[in-house]
Amino acid sequence: MVQDHKQSSLNVDRRQLLQGVGGVSIAAVAGCLGGEDGEDGDPTFHVQLEVNADNDDRVQMVELISTSLEDSGYFSTEIETYEWNNYIERVMDLEYAESGNVPCIGLSGTFNPESFCQALHHSTNHGQCCNLVGIDDSELDDLLDDARYGVEVSGDEDLRRERYDEVWTHLAENRYSSITHFDLVAGVTNNNVHGFNMYPFSEGIFNYGLHAPQDEQVMWMDEDADPRETDVSDLEEGGTLRGAVGANVDSFDPPYSTDTTSTLAQEFVFEQLLRSDKEGNLYPWLAEDYELEETNDVERLDYEDYMTSVEADEEGILDTDEQIIVRHPEDDPVEDDEVRVLLPDDAQEAVDDGTFGMRFRYDLHEGIEFHNGEEFTSEHVIATVERYYNSDLEAQTFDSLLHAEADGDNTVYLYAQIPDAEAERELPGIYIHSMEQADLEGGDLDPRGDDGVEPIGTGPYEFSEFSDEEYVEYTKNDNYWLEELGLEQKEWFDGPEDFPAGPVIDEIDLRIVPDDSSRSAALQNDEIDITYGLSTADLDEFDDSGDYVVKSVEAGGYEYIQYPVHSADDEMPWDDERLRQAINHLVPREQIVEHVLNGWARPAWTDLPELAEEAGTVDADALEDEIRPYNEYDPEAAAELLEEVIEDHDLE
Amino acid sequence: MSLRRFILKRLLSIIPILFGVSVITFSLVHLTPGDPIAQMVAMNPNVTAAEEAQLRARYGLDGPIWEQYLTWMGNVLTGDFGEVIGSGRDVSEVVMTRLPETIALGLFGWAFGLVIAIPTGIYAAINKDEFADTASRFLALSGISIPNFWLGLMLILIGALWIGLWPVLPPSRHALYHPEMLWYLVLPGITIGTAAAASIMRVMRTSMAEEMNKEYVTAARAKGLPERTVVLKHVLRNSLISVVTLAATLTASIVAGSVVVEVVFNWPGLGREFITAIDEREINLIMAITLFTGVFIIIANLLADILYAVLDPRIRYD
Repeated sequence: MVQDHKQSSLNVDRRQLLQGVGGVSIAAVAGCLGGEDGEDGDPTFHVQLEVNADNDDRVQMVELISTSLEDSGYFSTEIETYEWNNYIERVMDLEYAESGNVPCIGLSGTFNPESFCQALHHSTNHGQCCNLVGIDDSELDDLLDDARYGVEVSGDEDLRRERYDEVWTHLAENRYSSITHFDLVAGVTNNNVHGFNMYPFSEGIFNYGLHAPQDEQVMWMDEDADPRETDVSDLEEGGTLRGAVGANVDSFDPPYSTDTTSTLAQEFVFEQLLRSDKEGNLYPWLAEDYELEETNDVERLDYEDYMTSVEADEEGILDTDEQIIVRHPEDDPVEDDEVRVLLPDDAQEAVDDGTFGMRFRYDLHEGIEFHNGEEFTSEHVIATVERYYNSDLEAQTFDSLLHAEADGDNTVYLYAQIPDAEAERELPGIYIHSMEQADLEGGDLDPRGDDGVEPIGTGPYEFSEFSDEEYVEYTKNDNYWLEELGLEQKEWFDGPEDFPAGPVIDEIDLRIVPDDSSRSAALQNDEIDITYGLSTADLDEFDDSGDYVVKSVEAGGYEYIQYPVHSADDEMPWDDERLRQAINHLVPREQIVEHVLNGWARPAWTDLPELAEEAGTVDADALEDEIRPYNEYDPEAAAELLEEVIEDHDLE
Repeated sequence: MSLRRFILKRLLSIIPILFGVSVITFSLVHLTPGDPIAQMVAMNPNVTAAEEAQLRARYGLDGPIWEQYLTWMGNVLTGDFGEVIGSGRDVSEVVMTRLPETIALGLFGWAFGLVIAIPTGIYAAINKDEFADTASRFLALSGISIPNFWLGLMLILIGALWIGLWPVLPPSRHALYHPEMLWYLVLPGITIGTAAAASIMRVMRTSMAEEMNKEYVTAARAKGLPERTVVLKHVLRNSLISVVTLAATLTASIVAGSVVVEVVFNWPGLGREFITAIDEREINLIMAITLFTGVFIIIANLLADILYAVLDPRIRYD
């Protein structure tokens, strides 16, 4: 099934979007210019907006917000810019909340709705990413926690959706932050590439685009036909796909890489127990089937009896070489000399006693072969979990995973620390290693150098060659397990019978080209077939040309400004939600999308992007109907609210 | 002082210079906020401050600056430049792979500069104040004024996209010393050599014109030597001294220019690596590249000093 981005349900058609917002947007500009420019003397409120200088789009966006505030006649504004590292250090400092400034920053969300609300608003995220202004609303904290954790919500998707709807309403009424827009990510191919579709995360552009039966997605090469007129029945096998990626592949070692390009490069080779479609639904992959077997009402405190004491130095560094699975919630490594922690052996003991949050059972496919001929068994899953111990990804992995246990060759249990609605997605989020490489020291899984180690996985492509900073090549895995087993082994697959059980392109040849305009030029010069991450101006040009195909999809990236509720004083009553709502009504979301991002984004009418709708709301349309009025550009509503604030706080 | 003692003295002076460079660079990098760990986890809501500290300790980034410097220095003295924290690559390996690419580019640019500049400079000096001289002055001024990133983009646009003689991306399958690579050096080489060519041309012209007015030139002409011999044998040799000085100084600006040019032309050299290293605050890599560049520039200047003696045997080193 080939979908043009104009027909797809998830893919957003930029032009249509613009038609929809165009009229309103012009009115908005007019409203801005004809504002009540300082009726009587000085504006009442002063706002200092802050932003990192190296992101042009973000700076322009802040300038638009600033202009809009000033044009209302109620605000005088100032914009401070900082170098990125300076800025991060500044806004993530605990003290920043007292400064009274309005920071602007961007984050990248996932299929998990939490990534669009918890990080910004939960009080535990103050002083780290990314509750910058010290929002401390215990009711909101509870709403956020209850939408993800607890016995009830972890087994009931509908309840979870309802609870998130409460979160969105609470946020709309209190408006601690204004999310301005959600990014679109776009991939561009020339006409030799057929069947291409974009995944919401650019690291999935190849892994997903080349072959993803969960969405009946497959890509092939054909120089003689127009990709707008072909569908999967015209599919041709073979060929080479030449692509360009936007950064060096820093690492082929999954637990020791934190950047998207490395993940992109690893996903040709490594696979996981489950796989996700582009809406975030999960499908058993290396696992034939999986099931949540047991949920217990357990808190992290309940592991106290199994914990071991380790010493902590003045800076809070713990003296142990073992992986810390859980730290006692009441111990503070900086203040206390000793801290109670749950180590892997302790975790096993707890599990043996029946103390755990959730237990998932995974039945593994038999007959899956690694590129080196090893047969995939439960042993590989356990060894992989152990390789994630003390890795660069330990924090992300062991904030939910408690323990992994094998039962025979083909069954694995993964345990969650506490009942957690995201555990289903998070626990199996590890790239399965071969036994040959499971014992490698951190970072040693590296093909560079004379004694380089080439990555071995179960994936549809085998690693072929890598030249640091220059290129990486893969060749098709001729013994790909899914092709051997057949797609009919996947119960969830309901596509056409002749749908290929693996990718059909033989060779992948990726050039590493950090400069956006060089990638764009290389595509124009027919040196590559596919790339991504181009400037919006280039995207417009490719989109207008019949020689290229641009596919875009709403992704997880978003930008927001945050209101310094912590530093309310007589002049700026930030603690009055009407002031925040008023500013929110003056955030020109449509203008930002249209003028700053050339339409390659969607205004954030609610805090929930399409990406996370599946888990984050009962009814996305109803949610938008309810929340959008709060977020509309509306200088009159803003003026009304501001007049109330001025009167109630005796401001001039 | 003999030439040998002079060279030895200059080589020994590299040590305090590099020490100074290392202290300054190390402090500057540490004075700017951010480190590789912050790059890795700062924007990740799942990572707590405590976990970040733990990670920092694992990579030895938690001690006081002087302690970190001493550790680094100790390792460098035993030949260990450390690893790139974000990717686990060995720093000396990275530098050794990238260095030849940058040297090739620099040499080509430098050679291009000299090949263009010296004849044009001579021609302009001989035809002083005539059209050729004015035209060369205009070209030189343009060459100095055009920013090299822009020139690079224009050359790609014209050379690759319009006339299609070069690819946008240099082929990465050939070894650098493959003769075919010379062809792909042309565009980035021109970009990097243009500014150098322009300034060398101006100096060449001025010093040549100055020499032409000296009495020995009149004497040589009076003796009946052909003009060609006068210019190429006597005047050129004397006016080259200032060009050599300038060419040595230009090494530094060629190295600096390579940073931008390598990014524009996707040339996998040290300059492109340097930009990434700074962005990601990869201290070990920044230090190593700075030191290597330092050594490179010092040696270029030393070579220029030695060349003086060849060009003018009257020069003494003391």
